[in-house]
Amino acid sequence: MTSSNNNPALEISGLQKRFGSIEIIRGVDLSIPVGERHAIIGPNGAGKSTLFNLISGHLAPTSGNVRLHGTEIGGTAPQQINRRGLSRSFQVTNVFPQLTVWENIRCATLWAMGYKYSFWHSIDRLADVRARTEEILTEINLLDRWRMPAGVLTYGEQRALEIGLTIAGSADTLLFDEPTAGMSRAETERTVALIRKVSEKRTLLMIEHDMGVVFDLADRISVLVYGQIIASDTPQNIKANREVQQAYLGTEVA
Amino acid sequence: MSDIGRMPGSDPLYARPRSLVSTLAIWIVIAAILLILPQVFNSGLSITTMCLMGVTIIFALSYNMLLGQTGLLSFGHAVFFGLGGFLTAHALNTARLTHAPLPLEVFPLVGGAAGLVFGIIFGAVSTRRSGTAFAMITLGIGELVSSSALILRHAFGGEEGISVDRTQVLHLFGITFGPQTQVYYLIAGWGLVSAGAMYALTRTPFGRICNAVRDNPDRAAFIGYNTTTVRFIAFSLAGLFAGIAGGLAAVNFEIATSSSLGATQSGTVVLMTFIGGVGNFAGPIIGAILVTSMQLTLSDLTSVWQLYFGLFFIAIVMYAPSGIAGMVTRQIPLFRANQLQKVVPYYLMALVPGIIAFIGGSMLIEMINRIAAHAADGPEMSLYGVALNVTSPLPWIVACVLLVGGGWLFRRAVRISLNAYNEALAIAQAPSTGRSVS
Amino acid sequence: MIEIIFISTLNGILFGMLLFLMASGLTVIFSMMGVLNFAHASFYMLGAFFGFEISRHVGFWPGLIIAPLLVGGIGMFVERYGLRQVHKHGHVAELLFTFGLTFIIQEVVQMVWGKLAVDYRVPPMLDFPAFTVFSTQYPAYKIFELLTAIAIFLVLLLVIKRTRVGLVVQAALSHPEMVGMLGHNVDRVFMLVFGVGAGLAAVAGVIAGPALVTQANMAHSLGPILFVVVVVGGLGSLSGAFIASLLIGLLQTFAVASNASLADLFGELTGTGMFIAHVSDIWNVTVAQLSAVMPYLLLVLILIFRPRGLMGTRES
Repeated sequence: MTSSNNNPALEISGLQKRFGSIEIIRGVDLSIPVGERHAIIGPNGAGKSTLFNLISGHLAPTSGNVRLHGTEIGGTAPQQINRRGLSRSFQVTNVFPQLTVWENIRCATLWAMGYKYSFWHSIDRLADVRARTEEILTEINLLDRWRMPAGVLTYGEQRALEIGLTIAGSADTLLFDEPTAGMSRAETERTVALIRKVSEKRTLLMIEHDMGVVFDLADRISVLVYGQIIASDTPQNIKANREVQQAYLGTEVA
Repeated sequence: MSDIGRMPGSDPLYARPRSLVSTLAIWIVIAAILLILPQVFNSGLSITTMCLMGVTIIFALSYNMLLGQTGLLSFGHAVFFGLGGFLTAHALNTARLTHAPLPLEVFPLVGGAAGLVFGIIFGAVSTRRSGTAFAMITLGIGELVSSSALILRHAFGGEEGISVDRTQVLHLFGITFGPQTQVYYLIAGWGLVSAGAMYALTRTPFGRICNAVRDNPDRAAFIGYNTTTVRFIAFSLAGLFAGIAGGLAAVNFEIATSSSLGATQSGTVVLMTFIGGVGNFAGPIIGAILVTSMQLTLSDLTSVWQLYFGLFFIAIVMYAPSGIAGMVTRQIPLFRANQLQKVVPYYLMALVPGIIAFIGGSMLIEMINRIAAHAADGPEMSLYGVALNVTSPLPWIVACVLLVGGGWLFRRAVRISLNAYNEALAIAQAPSTGRSVS
Repeated sequence: MIEIIFISTLNGILFGMLLFLMASGLTVIFSMMGVLNFAHASFYMLGAFFGFEISRHVGFWPGLIIAPLLVGGIGMFVERYGLRQVHKHGHVAELLFTFGLTFIIQEVVQMVWGKLAVDYRVPPMLDFPAFTVFSTQYPAYKIFELLTAIAIFLVLLLVIKRTRVGLVVQAALSHPEMVGMLGHNVDRVFMLVFGVGAGLAAVAGVIAGPALVTQANMAHSLGPILFVVVVVGGLGSLSGAFIASLLIGLLQTFAVASNASLADLFGELTGTGMFIAHVSDIWNVTVAQLSAVMPYLLLVLILIFRPRGLMGTRES
């Protein structure tokens, strides 16, 4: 799904989220143009995952707007947002544990391919679904594990499957929540290469703690501290930013 | 990153569907078996039992569309079975009176239609919630319907139910459906069609998404699906097939009674489906056959067979929640990797104390039963071919020892077997050599 | 008419208090452990039958103490060796476990005591009319029931508000996930809560048994009413359970006492034919007949429109 207008891919203005009397997101403004790779960094508890939940429909904003290609999506149901072209991965692996790797990815392709709630197509004979599933599995390098139940995969494999689920549809705006969390150096490199490949020609918004990954991938970085963005700039400028250095106190991960 | 490429001799097409020919072949074989069965087991009792099993199988399969496929625990599924039966009964009586040109063979469709319509109505209400709330709603609706059945005497016939005469309706090919064998073929035919349809449903996009919703409803939303819609469709279709089963039951027993839509019927289908195994298409079939056999044979052996049934169910819930089918399918990876023969000795070893514990437990139950409910039969009884007197302490002590001792040994043997299984499974599931492990 | 209202109010309050004895345990178990204990009404039934059996051999008053202790012990055993084992298999398995438990308890009770009602008698000490209102005598036993229920309720209140365990229970009611992090032995608390809940249900059974019918189908008829109370009162709210218990106790009692039907209101239906026959079934149904259905209707409606219940703090 390509945008036919020149709105930014994602535009957040005045976003606030309050739980009872506690304000987690205190007014966030962010504009991400189409095709940009954007990273969100910040100390723990800053509200990064809450921000993702607000964008992807898991939570409704207390006030403010979230616009996807110009259309308001704040407070809309997750499946509606997904159908409009936004897809996300989760920090804690969130796959379909009893389904095989093949099934996991295949299910994620179905809506975008137009099959929706069809109970009159024989899924095993759909050549387009098969081709797409094979394509995704090859991209995330899980093709040889296709018949394993997702629940028995190794941690790294599950994270790869997580990414696969996110890209299997036709989403053009991808949200990755700490995609390299808990990975070894080698796994991280592989994952970064994968993310770079799948986000070509798409818009990417990523939460990350690994600074190496962030500086490697991101076109721009926003820093979220206590529910507010204190800086939003190119990686070079962010590195040099005083406020950011203070907020982080040098937490660049080796 | 190792680049696997296409290894020589490996399957070039992943998840290739079974060819049309082999799929048809399986169903033809099943049909052939169904055709031959009444010739092999040709006593009146056998045929009647098979008819009952057939109806129950369709009902259990329809229930598993909810529980096993979509993760919906319903405690009120019998309403579709019962309402299907009642509407079929009314339709049959109306057809008899008006001499309608409808053959008996199509009347289960009336049950199906009733099941579908009520499935849609109740589904619209129930599927708004999930989990425990959904279970409670289905329980409530189930009891509402079954209470209404007693109030609306004309619709449900009060205590006597609604009777039908299946021989008084139009028939095809001059088959009168007087003899039970002919009813068997009707049930077998509809059973094959229904089971085939329900199986085909699992191989559709909708069927796959039902599984996804069962596994992880939040994620299913994030791949574009409205989980409520998915559940609603599944609920309605499950009602349809339950209604067909109910219609067949009405034809088979020539009566529709309010017990067919009550809590007992709803509870029984939960138990039998779970015992058979919810994760596998064949599970409910196994459960239906097993439980129906239990009901028929055990009830001759002991007056408290329901208690054994309940204990068996609890044992499955606690120790083998994937049911009998699950236990079998879990051996498949081992079988494929040639590891099965390693674990079978452990299973056999565990079976022995298990049987001992069962003997002890059943002795206790039967002796208590004799004292509490059948004291008039006197203190002398015979268990497992051994005569004993319930007033003497010896049989009690023996029973306790067998139960406790056997039970303790059984637990240990099971633990050892489980270790053996896990070891064998790890060997079977290791990624193929040549792939670097990071 | 006033007589009926007065008696029904008393009976309704009494029924409500009994319901609360059971619903309190069920609410705490549901809120803390996330399991809707289907077998809760079965513990009530066990209490009644144990009380009956003990009263036959020893006396009513020892039964009042021993039966709840026995059932409480059974409850703890069930939690420790049953529920805890099943917990790792997920919510569905937990629900099915308690469902299967109901089944088994019913079968055992039927086996030992038969399917017919047993003659559980009011102890002779309390078998006299307390007072006469208008022309009906109100039995002293019922006053005893009421007082006992209130006494237990007060003790519960004290325990919840004033003891350490009570504090933990309060915390766990609204934030079950946090309790483990506070350093409390969650397993032990669960076992205790389940046992005490079962014991409370059993107390209700012991004191209600002589007044109501003690029969093997007790659990099945009371179960749904109990669920309605817990759902209406709301998850995580004991005060909600209290209000809901009284409300539903009164509602049920008044409904059972009422023989009104649409026919009474609007006159008999005239006419013949199948359609009229069907409608007349509905037309002539009495409120008393509907009282069996009302809890279920309420259950379904609340779950659809307000699953949080009256005062719940969380959805299920």
